[in-house]
Amino acid sequence: MSSKTRLILAVMVLCLTGIGIAIYKNRKLGVPLWVGEQSTSWLVEAKVSFLSAEEGPVTVKLSLPTIAEDPNVGQEAGSLGFGNFLDSTQSGLKSVWSANQISLDTHSLYYRVRIPERYKTGGSGEQVKGPAPVAQSPGFSGSTEKAAKDLIDRSRQVSSDADTFFTHLFLQMSQDSTSQETVLLRRHYEREEKVSDENILYTMGIDLLQMAGIPARLAHGVKLDPAAGPQEPLKLIEYSDGATWTVKNPLQPNVSLRSENIFVWNRGGSSLLEVFGGENSKVVFTVIKDTISLERMDNLRSAPFFAATILELPVSERAVFRYVVLIPLGAFVVVILRNIVGIPTLGTFMPVLLALAFLEMKPAAGIPMFAVIVAVGLYFRFLLSSMNLLVVPRVAACVVIVTLLMVVMSLISWKLGIRGVSQITLFPMIIIAWTIERMSLIWEEEGKRNAIMQVAGSMLVAVVAYAFMKIPQIQYWAQYFPELLLVLLAAILLIGRYTGYRISELHRFRNFSES
Amino acid sequence: MSKWWHRWFRTPKELRAMGVVGINMRNARFLLPNNPRKLYQRVDNKLCTKALAEERGLEVPQTYLVLSSAHDVSIMEKKLQEHESFVMKPARGSGGKGVLVIDHRDGDHYVKPSGSRLSSAELRHHAENILAGLFSLGGNRDHALVEYRVTPAKVLTDISFQGAPDIRIVMLHGYPVMAMLRAATKESDGRANLHQGALGIGIDLATGLTVRAVHHGRIVTHHPDLKSPLVGVQMPQWDKILEIAVTCHEMTELGYLGVDLMIDETKGPLMIEVNARPGLAIQMANGVGLHNRLQPVVDRKKTHPNESSADRIAFSQKFLAAKLPQKI
Repeated sequence: MSSKTRLILAVMVLCLTGIGIAIYKNRKLGVPLWVGEQSTSWLVEAKVSFLSAEEGPVTVKLSLPTIAEDPNVGQEAGSLGFGNFLDSTQSGLKSVWSANQISLDTHSLYYRVRIPERYKTGGSGEQVKGPAPVAQSPGFSGSTEKAAKDLIDRSRQVSSDADTFFTHLFLQMSQDSTSQETVLLRRHYEREEKVSDENILYTMGIDLLQMAGIPARLAHGVKLDPAAGPQEPLKLIEYSDGATWTVKNPLQPNVSLRSENIFVWNRGGSSLLEVFGGENSKVVFTVIKDTISLERMDNLRSAPFFAATILELPVSERAVFRYVVLIPLGAFVVVILRNIVGIPTLGTFMPVLLALAFLEMKPAAGIPMFAVIVAVGLYFRFLLSSMNLLVVPRVAACVVIVTLLMVVMSLISWKLGIRGVSQITLFPMIIIAWTIERMSLIWEEEGKRNAIMQVAGSMLVAVVAYAFMKIPQIQYWAQYFPELLLVLLAAILLIGRYTGYRISELHRFRNFSES
Repeated sequence: MSKWWHRWFRTPKELRAMGVVGINMRNARFLLPNNPRKLYQRVDNKLCTKALAEERGLEVPQTYLVLSSAHDVSIMEKKLQEHESFVMKPARGSGGKGVLVIDHRDGDHYVKPSGSRLSSAELRHHAENILAGLFSLGGNRDHALVEYRVTPAKVLTDISFQGAPDIRIVMLHGYPVMAMLRAATKESDGRANLHQGALGIGIDLATGLTVRAVHHGRIVTHHPDLKSPLVGVQMPQWDKILEIAVTCHEMTELGYLGVDLMIDETKGPLMIEVNARPGLAIQMANGVGLHNRLQPVVDRKKTHPNESSADRIAFSQKFLAAKLPQKI
């Protein structure tokens, strides 16, 4: 078998497998091929982890959102070696895990729920059930009571109802954090009540609301932001104006919660997580956006192994794959731009890493930052070059310089009031150090023109790769039809045998003439 | 026939008609199938190439010294006392990187062909840079080679500004397919890289006469600095040059390679280095697409496998001459 037939055979097998699985998914499981045809839903996963205290019985109770009561909502609990059931208590729905005998170890439990995008998840009014809640006044005394009263009075003067009071109270506490009353109250909570620094705002806020006659309690929410990664529960405060309960974020007291940004996980005052027989327990949320409908998703997840692929993974693992499946697309762009267009780049796949960084920080911010780092790094590299260092120490020195540059740049821009520069750390540092190293060599050997051309070429390739990876349809295919990567592989193999001219060569040989 | 777009580009069809070989074709059709990876080290390390060449009795510039440690560098000057001129280069360098030519001495100082002077400290510094791997592929530690400095033959110094011109012969399966002379200009600063402004001068394989010269891709007839004519110059001992090239193929076993030679006034042609990835600029210098020369060799190899070296040279001289005969 010649190498050519072998190639064609491989290409055909890859294409048939990839397209075959995709068609199977489309026809049999009904997964739409085009990004426009779907409905969006959020998949929220709560991961409870705790350390078992001793080899004894363990009970874990996790409060669930009210949506879990809806039998049509997709939800499941993962728990190896634990019994699990949903318990409908007076203070809301809870997922209860229990085990009699577990090993001394860190244990993880999962609970996933799927929320349709249009579902009202915000903290808007909920009718007060049962008897109207009664505010309980906290036990302040002496100077703290005086301070608290002053704070409440000042807020009351500029507010008309519970909503506006809430806003003004928290604005006062955050904006005038140096005012006498706030400082005094904070110190009281720190010393007397032993409340940790990050919790003071919530504890103090709830106490002050209660003192002003507004029933209030703690609630928890989840940020609906896939880029946030695993997140701690977001603390919120729920208060009642007598008729309804409303949830707000005390950090943004003047903004009503928007259901597309924040999903209120539990309200009603019951604790989010209770673990009996374990310690160091915590709950972490991961959120991803699914762009295909619930029943299709269930079809997919119960489909044979080859069709389900990464959708079968826990949410936190899937979130990682969000970018991983895009890397081959970047590599594909590099192959096209180098072997067919003929753009010179520094380091073959460096542009892909650059493009991944751009996905998180937008090229408009990324390119100037990259340019500044490389330019300044290059300057220091030339200072180093007179010292005759060996290669590895030289590059390591570059890594240190690049790190310091990142710190300095973040600091300066922070002082100047430019936000978001700390995203600079998304750049792969080692790659930047190597870029600087290679650029300085090319600079010395082939002149600055070549060096700058190659860096500009890398940048161009990175931007094109970014633009390609950013296309929603491409992202959709990469995530729900990863088998199409086989088709991509076939295309790369074919380009690997492309012997025609690069577009840059059409220009290079423009003066070619037979004489 | 000139078209408006020729100022900016040529269409693939036009290039194909002229037999121009692009990088992709060179790599996929000639380089990868014919040059097994394991043979590369024979040519990437000049010490290795030189040893192979000497085994075959090829003329190479005499090695004065090989430096491999700081100690070698410290005693280098004592050993070089008897030599008025020499060349220092990295064993694993490529594209002329890190090559230092010393033309003569002036008291304690070393003088380069351009006239600039080097102190002995600066000479040692250069040697240390080579050892540290500043010029070698991948930046690994390297050896420095100090060797005889070629005094180019008079015909060649007439057409090169300061730097010594070298001859590049591209070979496929041991058949010479194309040759060119690279001559330095003021702009190229003694270097022989075409994209840095050196002249590329095509040579007829049959006769060793220069046929055409290009500077920055444009045809020129006279040297831009020296004003000497560039076409119709006879390379001395052309047959011997072709023999050396063919022997280089046999000793390295590379199917597709470029051989670089220099012609010394007294010693004649000397093999300088062998390149496993020869560039494509040679087509520009000759005004002939490489494919027009490579394809006949591919066909010939099929009909006449294992031809002797003399027969291969005869084939190239007859069928791959500057004006390609209509029928083969």
